[in-house]
Amino acid sequence: MSVETPKPKDYKSDLKPIWCPGCGDFGVLASLYRAFAELELDPAKTVIVSGIGCSSRLPGFVKTYGFHTLHGRPLPVAMGVKLANPELTVIAVGGDGDGFAIGIGHFPHAARRNIDITYLVMDNEIYGLTKGQVSPTSAVDHKAPTTPWGNLETPINTLAFAVACSASFVARGASFNTKALTELIVQGVEHPGFSFIDALSPCVVFHNTQDEWKNLVTDVAPDHDVADRTQAFDLALRGGFSLGVVYRERRPTLNERYAQLLGAAKTSDVDAMLDAFTAREGVAMGGPAAS
Amino acid sequence: MLCASSVRGWSLGFANDGRRTLAARRPRSSGFGAAAGDDHEGALVARHSVVIRLAGESGEGVISSGDILTQAAARGGYWTQTFRTYPAEIKGGPCMYQVRMGDRKIYSHGREVDLLVCFNQEAWDLHHDALGSEGAILYDTGVDIPDEYAERARPVRMEQLAKELGGSLRAKNMVAVGAVSGVIDFDTAPIEELVLRRYAHKQGVADANIAALHAGEAEGGDLSGALAIVDPVEVEEDRVLMSGNQALALGAVAAGLDYFAGYPITPASDILEWLSAKLPQTGGITIQCEDEIASLSSVLGASYAGAKAMTATSGPGLSLMSELLGLAGAAEIPCVIVDAQRGGPSTGLPTKTEQSDLAHALYGGHGEAPRVVMAPVSVADCFWAAVDAFNFAERFQVPVIILTDQGLATRMEVIERPDTSAVDRWPRVTAEGIAAEDYKRYEYTEDSVSPMGIPGQPSGQHVATGIEHDEYGNPGYTPEIHVGMQRKRWAKLDPLADGLANHVHHGEEQPEIAIIGFGSTYGSVREAVERAADEGLSIGMFYPRVLGPFPVERVREFTDNARRVIVPEVNFTGQLARLVRGECGISVDGRAKSDGLPFTAEDIYELIVVQEVTA
Repeated sequence: MSVETPKPKDYKSDLKPIWCPGCGDFGVLASLYRAFAELELDPAKTVIVSGIGCSSRLPGFVKTYGFHTLHGRPLPVAMGVKLANPELTVIAVGGDGDGFAIGIGHFPHAARRNIDITYLVMDNEIYGLTKGQVSPTSAVDHKAPTTPWGNLETPINTLAFAVACSASFVARGASFNTKALTELIVQGVEHPGFSFIDALSPCVVFHNTQDEWKNLVTDVAPDHDVADRTQAFDLALRGGFSLGVVYRERRPTLNERYAQLLGAAKTSDVDAMLDAFTAREGVAMGGPAAS
Repeated sequence: MLCASSVRGWSLGFANDGRRTLAARRPRSSGFGAAAGDDHEGALVARHSVVIRLAGESGEGVISSGDILTQAAARGGYWTQTFRTYPAEIKGGPCMYQVRMGDRKIYSHGREVDLLVCFNQEAWDLHHDALGSEGAILYDTGVDIPDEYAERARPVRMEQLAKELGGSLRAKNMVAVGAVSGVIDFDTAPIEELVLRRYAHKQGVADANIAALHAGEAEGGDLSGALAIVDPVEVEEDRVLMSGNQALALGAVAAGLDYFAGYPITPASDILEWLSAKLPQTGGITIQCEDEIASLSSVLGASYAGAKAMTATSGPGLSLMSELLGLAGAAEIPCVIVDAQRGGPSTGLPTKTEQSDLAHALYGGHGEAPRVVMAPVSVADCFWAAVDAFNFAERFQVPVIILTDQGLATRMEVIERPDTSAVDRWPRVTAEGIAAEDYKRYEYTEDSVSPMGIPGQPSGQHVATGIEHDEYGNPGYTPEIHVGMQRKRWAKLDPLADGLANHVHHGEEQPEIAIIGFGSTYGSVREAVERAADEGLSIGMFYPRVLGPFPVERVREFTDNARRVIVPEVNFTGQLARLVRGECGISVDGRAKSDGLPFTAEDIYELIVVQEVTA
């Protein structure tokens, strides 16, 4: 039986995006549809987990399973989904505020655990949903409602941060370059491990950087060695407008490690476990033995 | 010869040979069945239960002595219950381990100490007040015991014998346990068996330990047998010895736990540790997260993906989880959260007990999110509470909070082995078999429970969300949607308010003196109620196992004839009393205490009787 190859529009839900006209997130969403079609993902076996913010409304616009969680919490929720069912393709999405302000504490742990999920951040260097305040990726001196005299803080270099945190796939795309972004999402989903994709996605209402960014972006140099972590860190530190894969490393995912552990553990059940507590036997005090 | 009557209340007689005399005498005045004299007037006064308290510096063998004694008592066929306090620091600081053992079922840890074992001076200073009027004392040489106690206090050469016979100071515990065994006339065979098993491949160490044990046994001198405990009744039934934390973990496994995530916190870490070792043996996953927020977040993710998922924490962790509780309530994601309460507020008393998270469990978080709050009353009940919690969570698609506390979580108790064939697992209603075009994740149904699409099911795609939503899960903020959804989310719980929960009742159905409590105070209250009933008072107790939704009708019925409704609880502001007043509209005599220690049966008895006498 021949199965028809899915089309990007097959992943579109009936909900109309709530984003402002011209929002970069449309480009990211379009890239996601295309990537899903290219990967021929089964919508019933795909879960998109998001936080809170404009971009975190994305799961509603896709026909897969979705979980719109709390501000800053998509990564640990996505981890639970993936650990509970390794068969699922799990994508976490959110904005720069969600991921690098309130939720940044989860990033290093998701990265070092190498959970096999793709984390797609729509980075507009601003808080859009709450109308334009600075975010952790806003430039120094940027003037916004909460920084009327200019931003006093140094922005987070998200790519360098990801490399430093042991993310095993680090890339940057842009909403205005959907072809390349689609390809990055495909690679991120296919990569076994924690894939971080920072997608430049301008907020045209509160911080319209679209034209500026279009002029700044370049492709990652073809001779860049994505397997060299030092080179990756160096590239990331030199500035944020190189589009492409910055770093890639294959190491066991948490699911793989856990599968190994489960394979090695002896099999038991609650009755056998209760036996160990039999009063007449003199139960073992202290911690139980792992075996 | 000792003059047995020279100390007030010190009525144990001692013969010259140091063995207990057989003289007839009244049991202790506490009335909690301490001596067999209750039943056998004039016969040998061997006790039905004995309360032993070991005290000293953390790290010098107090805890291991208590563990050995508890284990040996259980192995010897006694019912046992323990109570521990320990410092919040790892090395140093005073710690205490109380073991109550008896031939009859024990409901509480006891108050008046029959035998105090002092590993150092501070132990004496801190704990001599807890001694019963007849309480005996064993102390390491060098501890200064006031003259008026000299008659019932005997030195034990713990350090010296440990070094001489046990080979190292670490054998102090064996000397102490031996000395205790001598005084309570406890057969040391189970202890020797335990030692031999532990050092199965180190015969020399085993021999040294046993030598230290026997040397200790003789140290009590003329106190030997003074607090003799009756031999245990031989029973066929299976008993197990475990803590509340362990019982919860086992109950969760029995309920079908697939996924556990937690963050270390006193006094709940045991659950995380135990499941880290054991859950993989059933194919499940245990993970230590970066914080409590990640723990509950990942639990919600796992449950969303179809797993039975749980986390365990204490008050500070529950605070961090509050926002997620709201998400679980709004998005209707089943999950179980254990809160082993400790003293608060803030960091508070990490190693002491308190029941001060009740209001937080019931109402914590913004915006009126539904949840079920349970409070198991004993170690055995912890097992069944975990089973029930999963069933409630899965059936009603809500977060279920199980409230224990430091006392219940860490105490060891001999209990009847839970009958796992009686474990019933209620399934979750899923989108299985529903056509995609008909599927609505948050559909209004007769019982307000909607089918949950599980990733992998071909027709159940939806977006689970904490934003207000229509039946499809699409964001919607109209008055109709919000009112309808709030009603739906809360109406799911009606069967729980209406009798599905197995509340615990003991004593008269509609007593004149009605006691309402929750959780760990059950055992002490039960012993006090039984004593008061024996003395002719019309009394009964009601312990809701599910406090949210609150069993309003059951409590009203129970208190219908009451002239006093006493509400004992271990917190400062009287949270349960306020709940009963508010929910049932009845006036209650709130008796809250917050000294970091559990109620004893004597405390409760005084609450009941002193009022009766002065009334």
